Amino acid sequence: MGLGLLASKAMRPTASRLLNFQNPNNLLLRTIVSKPELRKPEPAAAQPEAPLVDLSPRTPVGGARVHFSNPEDAIEVFVDGFPVKIPKGFSVLQACEVAGVDIPRFCYHSRLSIAGNCRMCLVEVEKSPKPVASCAMPALPGMKIKTDTPVAKKAREGVMEFLLMNHPLDCPICDQGGECDLQDQSMAFGSDRGRFTDMKRSVVDKNLGPLVKTVMTRCIQCTRCVRFASEVAGVQDLGMLGRGSGEEIGTYVEKLMTSELSGNVIDICPVGALTSKPFAFKARNWELKGTETIDVTDAVGSNIRIDSRGPEVLRIVPRLNEDINEEWISDKTRFCYDGLKRQRLNDPMIRGPDGRFKPVNWGDALAVVAEAAHQVKPEEIVGISGKLSDAESMIVLKDFLNRMGSNNVWGEGISENTNADLRSGYIMNTSIAGLEKADAFLLVGTQPRVEAAMVNARIRKTVTSNHAKVGYVGPATDFNYDHQHLGTGPQTLVEIAEGRHPFSKIISNAKHPVIIVGAGIFERKDQDAIFAAIETIAKQGNVVRSDWNGLNVLLLHAAQAAALDLGLVPQSEKSLESAKFVYLMGADDTNIDKIPKDAFVVYQGHHGDKSVYRADVILPAAAFSEKEGTYENTEGCTQQTWPAVPTVGDSRDDWKIIRALSEVAGVRLPYDTIGGVRSRLRNVAPNLAQMDEREPAALPSSLRPTFTQKVDPTPFGVAVENFYMTDAITRASKIMAQCSAMLLKK
Amino acid sequence: MAQAIRNAKVPPNSVNLEEARQRVFEFFRSACRSLPTVMEVYNLYDVATISQLRSTIAAEIRKNDHITNPKVIDLLLFKGLEELKNVVNHSKQRHHIVGQYVVGRRGLEQQELAAKEQGISNFLKNFYNSNYS
Repeated sequence: MGLGLLASKAMRPTASRLLNFQNPNNLLLRTIVSKPELRKPEPAAAQPEAPLVDLSPRTPVGGARVHFSNPEDAIEVFVDGFPVKIPKGFSVLQACEVAGVDIPRFCYHSRLSIAGNCRMCLVEVEKSPKPVASCAMPALPGMKIKTDTPVAKKAREGVMEFLLMNHPLDCPICDQGGECDLQDQSMAFGSDRGRFTDMKRSVVDKNLGPLVKTVMTRCIQCTRCVRFASEVAGVQDLGMLGRGSGEEIGTYVEKLMTSELSGNVIDICPVGALTSKPFAFKARNWELKGTETIDVTDAVGSNIRIDSRGPEVLRIVPRLNEDINEEWISDKTRFCYDGLKRQRLNDPMIRGPDGRFKPVNWGDALAVVAEAAHQVKPEEIVGISGKLSDAESMIVLKDFLNRMGSNNVWGEGISENTNADLRSGYIMNTSIAGLEKADAFLLVGTQPRVEAAMVNARIRKTVTSNHAKVGYVGPATDFNYDHQHLGTGPQTLVEIAEGRHPFSKIISNAKHPVIIVGAGIFERKDQDAIFAAIETIAKQGNVVRSDWNGLNVLLLHAAQAAALDLGLVPQSEKSLESAKFVYLMGADDTNIDKIPKDAFVVYQGHHGDKSVYRADVILPAAAFSEKEGTYENTEGCTQQTWPAVPTVGDSRDDWKIIRALSEVAGVRLPYDTIGGVRSRLRNVAPNLAQMDEREPAALPSSLRPTFTQKVDPTPFGVAVENFYMTDAITRASKIMAQCSAMLLKK
Repeated sequence: MAQAIRNAKVPPNSVNLEEARQRVFEFFRSACRSLPTVMEVYNLYDVATISQLRSTIAAEIRKNDHITNPKVIDLLLFKGLEELKNVVNHSKQRHHIVGQYVVGRRGLEQQELAAKEQGISNFLKNFYNSNYS
């Protein structure tokens, strides 16, 4: 149904007679505008001086701040008579935002390219014959923008009427209801009636996979999802088909959307066309309690909001943090939450002589553990903290084992020769946001797309905006940006270090070169030699300078950075093989075959995952959504989770369990509250006490002793086999299982 | 009804501790004598035995063994008698009995256990109790 058809319908004599009959007083056609003054709006007269409103500075929309890179480039425009200074190149819409006027929009999104096809952002500009689309119009010096005039209002009402023409009236069964831009804006700017009487069009729904539910009839063709997919996610799966009223969004051929960021199209869709499939018909957004917390499924520490109702986590949505995840999150972060309901451990359990677990009370379970711990020699006690452990529980575990006389305590993903002495040797020194400055990347043994999807999105952003060169050393893998595959093993690194490889020139010519080393290398025996080669490359390419540190390690798990800060490094290679008492604190990816048959194994954790099969005692703990825990992300930024839901069954917070165990075992630890644990944490690693702040490493890693050991020619391995299932929570999730079955390339 | 309440007589107070003591024994005996009926009425054969219930009653009485004021003992006896009447008259339902005197008994045992573990810290007491305290 196009514009012409609508117009001709309105002109039909029968229609007008009918309308006149309904409204005999009105000889004109019934108009749709809500107020009589909008019927024939005159363009606002060029009022020469009309500063009748107060000209005190107004707060920009969302408290945004304008950064002037060059003070001479500032231009002044007038928004509703109020003068604002903006940098050159700002659009009219951005100028209005700086002036504190929120312009309605559907297709415009600050992080995507400008399409200008929804026309909702029309404003009146003085001396322009027609209203202009403010998102696509650059602001010019002295421009007088009117956002509140009858012309602008009528334009919005008209656009709204056209958009609602083909939009189904299914708000009551729509998942977007309550947080829908179209709903809100039609209430604020729309008319109270429409002239459209024909059938609405309908569009076939598309199958985009197990995560995104589509109801394409609701689509208003803003093309945000198409632009997101091609610009941010870097997959060319979505596109626009057809023209006019036949226009629809879809995958060109029958295909699923295979991006690790696909869930973000749910957030950017202004209507209910793209909604979350697992969340479909589960809840209304006004029933949900939001808890602002952070994600632990990878080492990025994306800022999230957990929406819960009662004891159940119903969805996870991103929170804005420009330094870490901007406003996107990966699919694993967004959809792992159903794993929090499955396979949970809810009672302390002891394995009986028949090999079956029997639920017991906490007193009995702790007594059994304490007794077993006292029956072995101190050096036979081993503690391993898992991928999802918070810093508090790790320091308490270390303190407990130290008091028992053992120092065999380490974190998963850290091997005996991992460097934990120099902080710059294991964090991302450039910082995630700092990657945007780079103009050359060397990725060593890391697949950022599966290891840290948000870091990969930054690299992609840099590659597309700066045309940065990317060189990759490691096994063949998927990239969603241009890259050169330099080689598969450490020999390529040696070649680059010795200047024999063409890529070494690219690094030395780059202004802001970045080297990213994957934490999978920590598992290699020859990691010192590899790091020595990388140091050489860094020295030759001038990667580490006073104003730029481009030498990075990309960690794999949420707990890894804090574990290295706390010094949870294994003392010797064979400590697990000779253990008699093993304390696994959420450690599910440790090779349990290495644990001797006669060892007593305690598993403390929230999911019945791999290690439970070997455990003799199970102590149920709280998951990240249920506790207050400190986590440090790969760039060294300390953040905290907040409890969104109560703990399951009889489980307890991790640090409390070890604190209680220490008392039962007769080596009582000196803290009773989380505040006490945190002050202990501050003594060991002061940066873990600085919440929400990135603490850069103090010393450069070049202080390391030099190694002359030869590198092992075996190629680099793949650190993350399955992006969707990396830890106990995601392995328990049904949605993640569906994703890995359907979306992973075979 | 009003007549009945007016005519209801509270037995006179015990004169001394010895009399109160005898009354307690009398109450315990009558309670024990009613136990077979209770087992029958509430069908408790698969969850408890008579001797278990007897020791539960004894434990409930012993909980107050530190009281020496005969007036207080009389009042507690009165409340116990009232409870016994309610139980015997089937004014309660099965789950009341099971919850209070069969499963609740375990809680009582735990209390005794906790009383034994006087040396533990407040932290550990709270820890055994719940995650939020």
